[in-house]
Amino acid sequence: MQFRKFLLLAVLCAYSIFTLAQSPGSIRGKVINSSGAPVGAATVMLQQGTGTMTDEQGLFLFKAVPSGYYQITVSAVGFKTQQKELTVSAGNQAEVHFTVKDAAVNMETVTVTGRSAVKETNRQAFNVTAVDAKKLYNTTLDLAGALDRVSGIRVRESGGVGSNFNLSLNGFSGNHVRYFIDGIPMDNFGSSFQINNIPINIADRLEVYKGVVPIWLGSDALGGAINIITGDRYRNYVDASYSYGSFNTHRSVINAAATTKSGFTVQLNAFQNFSDNDYKVKVDAADINTGAYTPGAYLRRFHDQYHNETLIANIGVVDKSYADKLLFGITLGKNYKEIQTGARMVSVFGAWHRRGDIVMPTLKYKKVDLLKGLDVTINANYNLGSETNIDTMNVRYDWFGNSKPNGSNGERARSLYKYKNNNGIATTMLNYRMDGRQSIALSNVFTTFNRKGADPLNPGTDDLPAKTQKNVLGLGYSYDIKDKWSTSVFGKYIYQNNSTGTNGSAATTNKLGYGIATAYFLTPNLQIKSSYELTNRMPEAQEIFGDIENQEGNPSLKPEQSNNVNLGLSYAFAINPSNKFQVNANAIYRQATNFIYNRLNNNQSKLVADNRDGVRTVGGDGEIRYSYKQWLNIGATATYQYLQNLQKYEPGYSGVSPVYKDQMPNIPYFFGNADASVSLRNVGARGNNLNIGYNLLYVHAFYLYWPSRGGDKLDIPQQISHDINLVYSVKNGRYNIGIEGRNIADALLYDNFSLQKPGRGFYLNLRYFINKTTNN
Amino acid sequence: MKIRSTIAALLVAATFASCSKNDSGTPVPENPGNYILAVTPAASTGVADYLLTAGSLETGSISTAGNGIEQDGTYRYYVTTNNKFFSLLYGQGNPGAVTAYDVKDGKLNKLTNFQTETVQAFAPVKDDLLLFKISRSTETPLSNWYKVNTNSLLITSEGTTNTLQLSGNGEMAHFSWIKQIGDKVYAPYFTIIDRTFATNYPDEASIAVFNYADMKLEKVIKDTRTSFIGRYFTDGLALTENNDVYAFSASVAAKGGVLTSTKPSAITRIKSGTTEFDQSYFFNFEDVSGGMNITNWMYLGNNNFIVNATTKAEKGAYTIGKTIGIVNVVNKTFQKVTGMPATADMVSLTFSNYTPKDGKTGYIGVNLKDGTSYVYKIDAATQTATQGLKVEGGSITSIQFLN
Repeated sequence: MQFRKFLLLAVLCAYSIFTLAQSPGSIRGKVINSSGAPVGAATVMLQQGTGTMTDEQGLFLFKAVPSGYYQITVSAVGFKTQQKELTVSAGNQAEVHFTVKDAAVNMETVTVTGRSAVKETNRQAFNVTAVDAKKLYNTTLDLAGALDRVSGIRVRESGGVGSNFNLSLNGFSGNHVRYFIDGIPMDNFGSSFQINNIPINIADRLEVYKGVVPIWLGSDALGGAINIITGDRYRNYVDASYSYGSFNTHRSVINAAATTKSGFTVQLNAFQNFSDNDYKVKVDAADINTGAYTPGAYLRRFHDQYHNETLIANIGVVDKSYADKLLFGITLGKNYKEIQTGARMVSVFGAWHRRGDIVMPTLKYKKVDLLKGLDVTINANYNLGSETNIDTMNVRYDWFGNSKPNGSNGERARSLYKYKNNNGIATTMLNYRMDGRQSIALSNVFTTFNRKGADPLNPGTDDLPAKTQKNVLGLGYSYDIKDKWSTSVFGKYIYQNNSTGTNGSAATTNKLGYGIATAYFLTPNLQIKSSYELTNRMPEAQEIFGDIENQEGNPSLKPEQSNNVNLGLSYAFAINPSNKFQVNANAIYRQATNFIYNRLNNNQSKLVADNRDGVRTVGGDGEIRYSYKQWLNIGATATYQYLQNLQKYEPGYSGVSPVYKDQMPNIPYFFGNADASVSLRNVGARGNNLNIGYNLLYVHAFYLYWPSRGGDKLDIPQQISHDINLVYSVKNGRYNIGIEGRNIADALLYDNFSLQKPGRGFYLNLRYFINKTTNN
Repeated sequence: MKIRSTIAALLVAATFASCSKNDSGTPVPENPGNYILAVTPAASTGVADYLLTAGSLETGSISTAGNGIEQDGTYRYYVTTNNKFFSLLYGQGNPGAVTAYDVKDGKLNKLTNFQTETVQAFAPVKDDLLLFKISRSTETPLSNWYKVNTNSLLITSEGTTNTLQLSGNGEMAHFSWIKQIGDKVYAPYFTIIDRTFATNYPDEASIAVFNYADMKLEKVIKDTRTSFIGRYFTDGLALTENNDVYAFSASVAAKGGVLTSTKPSAITRIKSGTTEFDQSYFFNFEDVSGGMNITNWMYLGNNNFIVNATTKAEKGAYTIGKTIGIVNVVNKTFQKVTGMPATADMVSLTFSNYTPKDGKTGYIGVNLKDGTSYVYKIDAATQTATQGLKVEGGSITSIQFLN
């Protein structure tokens, strides 16, 4: 107070000195921290609502201020907000200085605390949501399960552990959304290594990019991207977990790293999933002999066992002058999957299965400031793994597990097809920081796919070329004033060459895309983000050539092009120090030509990717989170998206299509999540914590076929599921015991074309974590 | 507060912006009646069929917009027998789901679902629906047949026929269709080397004759004056009132994608009471029509047929002819009907059509390029076509009638 009076006196003195003209006055000043350094990008607000920001020197200036009495408030990220009063007289320049206190000193008054990497990510110019994976380590979730809780995302699985999945993000699905692991595209990792069989513990955080994907994730993603950051959390640690639960499900994960003082490092990730997936489904089960249906029978799945075992080993150096990270690694894995149904539950199988393996050498190199301001990242991998499709029984099964001979063509199509996809990826990323604000990024991603296989049961039919190569070259420029605004402009040049068909005809496509993304902090707690992009999405290898399972290839699939506009708001506020809120809202508008979507093939046996001439998407999603002190956290997300078919003419017809302007069928359009968690500290003993969590999933009913057609229609009913979990951590997280109940109300949950998902299940999870902060 | 309301407003705006609904004009109400039409929305692929009723095939209109019973899956076939309407899914490797309906107060009434196999030929035989799942590989020469009782709506028996042995020429016999003739089942067939449907025997016609109900093969009737009878999934036989059997050959046998038969498209006969081709009867359709060939036909009664025909240029193994004409098998005449839309305006003609069997009238579905479809009434006496019931929002795939 003493200081303030002094300052006020000084200011008043200043007035008397500078009283010159009759024009409005002005206010100038400087903001410094407690150690005397200037504080840039601090928000300075006048009482009446006008505001400005301090520059790099901590200086600010209000011009043309009418004379009068003012309250002036300074706030800056990481500092305590400060308020002062002053009077401005006509024609004078008032001067006021602030020495802001570090917020960490006084936690109780903080509304915006120091940001973790997760929140830091959320503040990028791109519309990005980061999920802190560490908070989920004591659950049995896989990456897909964690993503399902993010607003705007629906993970659609065809069944239980190891089933096929399809993720939709703001109305874009399938390969509109691309997956990355530490920035490396996961496109062609094979069935042994997919986001729904990788446990959450492998990740440090998950970044979900909605709409524009930053240039450093070089890709032709159109609807968004998911980047899994495995992170280098600790130099030396062991993190092991094991869980057991319903449907004979076993999962284990071991992550470990050892690093010497000299920087030599060995990193290991090993995980295993096993499940019989013998959950009950409600089906109209036909008797194999009479054809009579038993409507609504509750029957166990009997041919759905899945297991995979994967080891990722990396060896190399960290923190060297020539490399922050130089790792040589190999991913080894195998999987076994029984196939219970076709694309629809009416087709049931009892012997058809798949085996796959992955043998993938990898190279990772990263160096920040290789030359001053120049960061270099290089990644490469090549998958030598193979897959075998095994369908050798000439029988038909029914849902009761009975079978009878059935012609000559296997259960689906007699096959012992063993193939290698021969896929490889090389990525190079250069980032040059010209100064504190400007940077240029250049990225190049090359992928290759060349399926080769042979089928001893169908000789001669398997030699059709199935080859695709793609290169994405991206260039971007970013201008960033930390915590104020940032903008990126970028362009992408995509090249793709496909060889398909009996004559192996090759076709080359070149596409150019570009866009701009910008983020602006209206106040330190209120950020607005917006982006526009003309984007291209090339057909993926699996879409062109099929997956030899329930996805049929479509060699004539065309690239999709889309104009995307995104607008997002993020606002954090506190009613008082105990009650804090965070609100996010996004609106999207997309106009796509040659929209790529999955539909059933004509005889309903498989899914096939196809184009619609035009599809418009308008939608929005929102999230609100509330926390009370340190122990209660409540949140909810909601997503609405309206995908409208704008294909006016159908092939062969000159009249307007009957489904022109109809809503796209079989795509969930309204869904949401709610969650609540309670964290109790020092339960039982000091350092022992208890977490209790609840999660609700809601999906509104949607139609299987075009909504405007027909009166008596097939639909996927509304779905609500409740999950609960309880985690008890001992010795500050060294030992953890988790109990999880999934779908505890045993609701019927459906997905992709009414395939049913598991009912009520309970899981026990044990985890051990230890890390050494000092080097060996 | 300002920010929160802004966010709320944005969300609400986004929601409302998305509500620009399909502007489909005045809705066409339901049209109760005993005619059943299966309609596929023109969105070519990945759509459902819709079953609609109509009170008349000659006037009025129906639409799939908000009307019709959605059928799961596109590849569907329809058959009416024993006063029931059957909707069969052709599921290639999947089981064949079947739904049976009857008509009550002019509306379809679902009786039951049951499951069969995906089959390549099916026909009413007595009280049964006989289904044939036909093998395409010489390594597995057994083809399966199933009998579905149309009263109990269950598969009551099943068995196999060795279709490699049946042909006797080293290729697989593949039935083009099956038909009850008297108390026998006639199954005309073509022979195939493998699943490409290629053959080395393009110049012969064969019919397997089965006993019913034991499905024992009785004999094979052969003729070398034509190529095979019927086409894949097409009934090439017709039984006239005096129990003569007439057969058409499209002459579309092929190998390596090339039509290889040297025989003309023609109609032959099996006289009542015999099980041999009548060598005294031959109706060379190509000669009469100026080089056209029959792709399918519908028997109206009184020896009159509506035939679909393709020109020489249009000829193909699976092409359905857009030329409609009247054939009288006794007089050996062919006359094109007048009053049909121009060929260029038609996308397709319906494959499965309706006739009251009065000797002169047939109703066929015509699907126009502008997206509308009509039922055309064909009068065999005047050889005219008259536009009738209008169908909006799809193409007609089947026209059936149920009392």
